[in-house]
Amino acid sequence: MGFLTLQSLSKVFGDFTAVRDVDLSVAQGEFVSLLGPSGCGKTTTLQMIAGLVEPTKGTITLDGRDITREKPSRRGLGIVFQSYALFPHMTVAENVAFGLEMRKVARPERDRRVSEMLGLVHLASFAERYPRQLSGGQRQRVAIARALVIQPPVLLLDEPLSNLDAKLREEMQFELRRIQRSVGTTTIMVTHDQAEALSISDRVVVMEQGRMTQIDAPYRLYERPATAFISSFVGKMNRIEAVWRGGRAEAAGLGLPSEAASLPDGASIGVAVRPEKILLGAAGQGLFDGTVTSRFFLGSYWLFNVETPVGNVVVSLPNQGAEPVAEGALVSLGWPPESASIVAAAAGAAA
Amino acid sequence: MKSRALTPWLLVSPATLLFLGLVILPLILTVILSFHVYDHTTGIQDSFTVEHYVRVVTDDYYLAIFWRTLRLAFLTTLICAVIGAPEAYVLSRMGDPWRSIFLLVIIGPLLVSVVVRAFGWSMLLGSTGLVNQSLRALGFDSVRLLYTETAIVIALVHVMLPFMVIPVWTALQKLDPAVEAAALTLGASRFTALRRIVLPQVSLGMLSGSLIVFGLSASAFAIPGLLGGRRLKMAATVVYDEYMSELNWPLGAAIAIIVLVANLAIMLGYNRLVETRARRALG
Repeated sequence: MGFLTLQSLSKVFGDFTAVRDVDLSVAQGEFVSLLGPSGCGKTTTLQMIAGLVEPTKGTITLDGRDITREKPSRRGLGIVFQSYALFPHMTVAENVAFGLEMRKVARPERDRRVSEMLGLVHLASFAERYPRQLSGGQRQRVAIARALVIQPPVLLLDEPLSNLDAKLREEMQFELRRIQRSVGTTTIMVTHDQAEALSISDRVVVMEQGRMTQIDAPYRLYERPATAFISSFVGKMNRIEAVWRGGRAEAAGLGLPSEAASLPDGASIGVAVRPEKILLGAAGQGLFDGTVTSRFFLGSYWLFNVETPVGNVVVSLPNQGAEPVAEGALVSLGWPPESASIVAAAAGAAA
Repeated sequence: MKSRALTPWLLVSPATLLFLGLVILPLILTVILSFHVYDHTTGIQDSFTVEHYVRVVTDDYYLAIFWRTLRLAFLTTLICAVIGAPEAYVLSRMGDPWRSIFLLVIIGPLLVSVVVRAFGWSMLLGSTGLVNQSLRALGFDSVRLLYTETAIVIALVHVMLPFMVIPVWTALQKLDPAVEAAALTLGASRFTALRRIVLPQVSLGMLSGSLIVFGLSASAFAIPGLLGGRRLKMAATVVYDEYMSELNWPLGAAIAIIVLVANLAIMLGYNRLVETRARRALG
């Protein structure tokens, strides 16, 4: 039994099922991300945990206590809203102190905890400012401080980084993880950004159309996506439509190395290979040859589109300094069997 | 270069001319008129005096009317704020078909002439009106409502309420609903969240609403005229009387100027007091 558990939790709005039979168990101190495209039910799930949306069915327990019908004000969870929802008419210090004030914490104790928390989020010198005088990243940290100062058993983050620009977002990811580590609060974060979810979570929960389809550690999610949707949503993925014949995958008459599988002969399948797992070589040296049709420089790596007999294949290559093969060049492609997984054929691909 | 410098002046000139011609000029003429000597037999004289002003500020009759005007305008503003702010909050929380319907219900009375509404109230509040009939049916004594201050305040509140609801509602529209939710999750009760988080943020809306309601109530004419009867006068009705029955135009002008100055002073002072406080926090 986890610290926070959701059991067959569902939410129906009219004739739309936003969340369907969600089961999740979160251990104390864990950082779990709910990842999915917009409208997948991840925010609704978070709001049900927070108590802002009442579940249609199912139970939520916190530390063994059933909190399914408890008022949000009594759950005592820390929540960081997407818009931050800071109180615009209060200073940073007053914002952070609000939760303590509601808990009737005495003045000296309150001041001490507020300044301690502002120190943790590096905003000690901004205590007397108003939210509108702060930058996006600073507001974000006020929101985190305000949620954490009440020492909540669980911290809920609703798309906390989506309103920040790219550079700041990356910085805040690590900042968020640092703060979470130093206070050790169990954290659940909702995000649609796979890079964000993979980089800072202990476990990632992928949600699709109101269901949780995979719950795994970030690297396992990336290496072993459970569904075709996850493989395309998390990172880039090549899918080669193939047929299973004689114990191996075949496409365009070529045998493709892949992990072992026991499938009937003639079954339509897909072979999934990550772009960075494909080895580029001189023509004639790999599994098959292809022509580089376009090339993109992305700073730390190069991305190639290679036209091959099995279709267009995306290959990425780390930037080693020297300029790699040019557009129009003939190259060979190859990969070790363990880098390719067998997935179900795309719907309609067999026809 | 020169024509470019002239463009802003050309653009504001129609509004400026309108303002000068319809507000400033009549106001100056009224000020001048208020200093003219008036004689009951010969009418307005060409000589000047401050007699009218002295008379108004020393005569208990006029002072009582001024005091009543201020009191009733203040009371109307207070009641409008107490009723209007929660009304706007409820309105902002309504679902889509209902919000439009109730907004129309609130604004609807503005489409009916004040005079018609005043007669409507006099029918309701009269000695044989619906209110007294109901009281009698329930076994209570009938009460005198028509031609009392109560009747004036009731009708003024009814007329002025939209002017309070709309600014507060506009302020609420700008409020992020997550802010209130944040207060709840931090342990605030619904009431505390309203008082500590929502109310301060709509205070500017309440301020502008109060200013409009106070200004319009203090200078209301039709409602006190029709519901206050002949004896219960307010500033605007006494000015009317001086002009139309007494024919003492200079005295009427002096009262009008005093009402204007008093109204202006109260509104500016109030605005300054509340706005500086709210602006500091809300930006």
